[in-house]
Amino acid sequence: MGLDLISRTLKTSAIVLLIFLPFGLYYWGVFPTLAVLSGAVWGFINLIFLSQLVRTVIRPDKIDVRRAVGLGLIKFPLLYGSGYFLLKIDRFDPIHLLIGFSLFLAVMVLKMLGRVILGLDNDNKTNKNLQGAL
Amino acid sequence: MEYFGSMLALAAPLGLGLAAVGSAYGIGRAVGSAMEAMGRQPEAAGKIQVAMIIGAAFIEALTIYALIAFFMAMGKLG
Repeated sequence: MGLDLISRTLKTSAIVLLIFLPFGLYYWGVFPTLAVLSGAVWGFINLIFLSQLVRTVIRPDKIDVRRAVGLGLIKFPLLYGSGYFLLKIDRFDPIHLLIGFSLFLAVMVLKMLGRVILGLDNDNKTNKNLQGAL
Repeated sequence: MEYFGSMLALAAPLGLGLAAVGSAYGIGRAVGSAMEAMGRQPEAAGKIQVAMIIGAAFIEALTIYALIAFFMAMGKLG
């Protein structure tokens, strides 16, 4: 389990979202699909900034304070401010935003479950070949 | 109905505040434990960072869910 897990989670979530979009447009309509898309983008941006912030702040060597403060100042207003404005849009149902926002969490849980079930984090030589799969 | 509305108006912000306090406590504990673990085993920093990112993402999601539930409750209040 390395830091590439986050980028792979984002890639998989983006693929799931791309697969969902035509079905959402056909069965739900434009605005619910747009709400799911907005929620997912909101979640992706949040995860990207969160991982950058954790990598900058929580480390054994010297912390780059300017970068940490900059990331914090961008991330928190971005997360809660954009969330507030998304929720204020009348045509967007909060449930659809929630579905979009939860997409990367679901992907992450399934990826972690896959790793646990396949035992990829055990230091076993036979498992090394499967490392790239999940 | 009026009684229900006033109770909801009281409970919704209170619930959001409680969720925020719980998330803050959870993140604080997670960061503290991560720093402690990293101090003991600096070579495991990468794994600890990933676990920290995942944990923080889930804790933050809880706060977002509370915020959305708050907005939905406020929508019911009108």
